[in-house]
Amino acid sequence: MAISFDDIPGVEWEPGAGEFITVDPELCIGCANCVKVCLGGCYEIVRKKAVIRSLDKCMECGACWYVCDNEAISFSWPPGGTGFRTKWG
Amino acid sequence: MRITDNIDETKCDVVVVGAGFGGAAAAKKCADAGLKTIMLERSKNVGDKIISGLTIPFHGFLFGPAFIRDGNPPIERPVDGIVNYIIKDIENKDIDIDDSLKVPKPFSPVFSVGYNAFCKAFCEWEVEQAVASGVELRTETTVLDVIRDNGRISGVITEKDERIWSKIVIDAEGSHGLLAIKAGVRKKYPPDTISLADVYVYDMDKRDIDRIFGFSLRFCWGWDEQKIAPPLGHGNGLMVWPYRDSLHLMQDQCLRNDDGPVYNLAAALKGYHEKITANLPWWKNEIEPRVTLRARMWDGFEIFVGLNEQLRNMPNFTDGMLLIGDAAGLENTELCDGVPTAWFSAEIAADVAIEAISHHDTSASFLKRYDDRIKAHPIIQWAITSTNRYNLRFAQQEHDEKKLKQCIHDGWGLGFCKYGSTALMRIVLFFIRKDPKIIGKWIRMYLRYYYNWHYSHFGDTGIAKEKQNRRNGIRLKSCLRLMDLILFIFSPLIRLVAGLLEPLAGAANPVMRFLFPIVAPVYLKFIKRWDAALEPLSTRLVNAIVASDPSIFNA
Repeated sequence: MAISFDDIPGVEWEPGAGEFITVDPELCIGCANCVKVCLGGCYEIVRKKAVIRSLDKCMECGACWYVCDNEAISFSWPPGGTGFRTKWG
Repeated sequence: MRITDNIDETKCDVVVVGAGFGGAAAAKKCADAGLKTIMLERSKNVGDKIISGLTIPFHGFLFGPAFIRDGNPPIERPVDGIVNYIIKDIENKDIDIDDSLKVPKPFSPVFSVGYNAFCKAFCEWEVEQAVASGVELRTETTVLDVIRDNGRISGVITEKDERIWSKIVIDAEGSHGLLAIKAGVRKKYPPDTISLADVYVYDMDKRDIDRIFGFSLRFCWGWDEQKIAPPLGHGNGLMVWPYRDSLHLMQDQCLRNDDGPVYNLAAALKGYHEKITANLPWWKNEIEPRVTLRARMWDGFEIFVGLNEQLRNMPNFTDGMLLIGDAAGLENTELCDGVPTAWFSAEIAADVAIEAISHHDTSASFLKRYDDRIKAHPIIQWAITSTNRYNLRFAQQEHDEKKLKQCIHDGWGLGFCKYGSTALMRIVLFFIRKDPKIIGKWIRMYLRYYYNWHYSHFGDTGIAKEKQNRRNGIRLKSCLRLMDLILFIFSPLIRLVAGLLEPLAGAANPVMRFLFPIVAPVYLKFIKRWDAALEPLSTRLVNAIVASDPSIFNA
C-alpha cells in the first residue's frame, strides 16, 4: 500500500524501491553537500560520513548525485512502478 | 507499411525510453510510419513522475506535432501574458511592475502565448494517441542499460533482465540521462547547470482565479539580499501559474553557483517560500486567505546546459541511439520550459529513425543528420541559448537596477521580440511556404483550445448542445469558411511572399532592436486604451466560440 506524509501532500510512495541510491563510504569525504540539497531529508552525517537515513521521502530529483564531488553517491532509478508518484506535477 | 529487415533477433524497430512529452511524440510518429515501436516507462502510470510548473509556450503547439496542434489535449488555462514583480525592498513594499508582455485585445485571451497544463494529464493524453497509432506501451519497466552489439547500441536491458532489441533507441528519459551516460554518449551535467524546482500546488476557487489572475502569470524577482527569491541568475524563478481551480507556485535554484559552495537548499527554499507568502502584498492579502495546499513536490532539471558551449556540443546521438528533449540538454534557458524543444527534437528524431531504418543504416554517421537538424532548428537554438535569465547575475553583482529591469523586460516582457523575432519569423515562414493552409489550422487550434478550456471538455465530441447554433456561432463558422476560401485562392501568392521573406528573417532581430526604442514606448502608452476599446470585440469572439458547434474547429 502506498505511503504518504502530512508534510508532503499530494505525493505517494509505492513501496519496493529498495536501495536505488547508495553512498560509498570509502569515497565519501563528509562534505554534507547531499544533506544540504535534499529536500526530503534523506541524508545525515554519521562519524563524518554521509549515510542514507531513509529514502522514504526521496523524490528521485538527483540533486544529491549532482553535488557529490567525489562521486561517492550512486544514483539509479528504483524498480518499475515503485517510488514516488503524483498527479499534480 | 511495416519496414522490416532480415535481422532475426530484432524484436522491434524502435524502442523509446520514457513516456513523457517527447517520448510519446517520437513513438507516435515512428508507429505512424509503420515501425514496430515499443515505449518503456518506469512509473506505474504514465506521468506519475513528471514534475514542472508549466506553461507550454505557443510555439510548441504551432510548430510541434500535428496531432497535438489538431487534437484536444487537456489544458488548465490559456495564458495571455506575464506580470513581473520587481521587488526592490519587500519591507517597504518598494515593488515595480513590468506587465508589458500581454496579448492585446481582441486577441486575448483566445490567441494566447501558451497554455498551462498538468504534466500527468497531458502526457497521458499524448500516450493515448501514441498507443492508438500502434505503439506498444510497457509501464513499470525501468531500463538499466543498453545492449551493445559490435560496438553499436542495439536495444535496451530492463530491470527484469529482459533484452529488447531494436534498430534505434530513442532516449527520452529526461534531464539526468542515466541511460545516455551508461551508453557513453554524454556525461553527467555539472551542478551549476542543474536547478532544483520546488513546486507547491494550491486549491483555489476558479472564480477567484478568474478575477485575480485572469490569464496572466505572475513572476517575482528580487535582489539577493532580500532573500525572498532564489539568487538572481542562478535559477531564481519564483513564479505563480494560474490553473483552472488551482495555483502552481514554483521556485527554483541551481544546486551550486559557479564554483562556489553548495547551498543549504532545503533551508533556503523553505525560507524564500515563507518570506514571500508572508510579505508580498498581493499574495498575503489576496491569495493566502483563499488557498489551501493541495500538493508539494520537487525535481531537478538542466537549466543552463545550452549556455555552456562544451555541454551544448556533447553528443546527442551514437550508433543506434538518439537523445531527445531534456536527455539531450534542450531545456529553454530563459523560460525554463523543455516541452516545445522536446516535441521538436522528438519529431526530428522520429524522422531520422524512419529514414535510417528505411536505408538500413543506423550508424552514427547516418544519424548525424539528427544533430544537424537540431542545430538548424531556429526555435531550439533560440531556446537553449537565450541569456536574459543567466545575465541577471551580472545585474546583481553590479546592483544595477536598470540592468535588472532590462533583463526582465527582454526575457519576460515586450523586449523578448528583440531576441525572438528572427527565430519565430523563420519557422512561421517555413511552415507557411510549405503549406499556406497551416494558417487555418493554427487559428482553428486556438479556437478549439479555448472552447475545450471553457467547457473543461477535451474529447472529440461537442457538448452544450443547447448553446450551439446561435447566431454568433454561425457567424464564426462563416468566417472560418471565408478564411479557408481566401487561403485556397491566394495560396500560391502567400507561398511566394513567404519564400521571398524567408531570407530576410535574419534581419528581424536587428530591425526590432532598431525600432524598439521608438515603437515600444508608443505601444505601451496606448495599449491600455486600445485594450479597453476592443474589449467588447474580444467578448464577442469568446461568445461566438462557446456558442459554436465544436466540429467547425476541427483541422
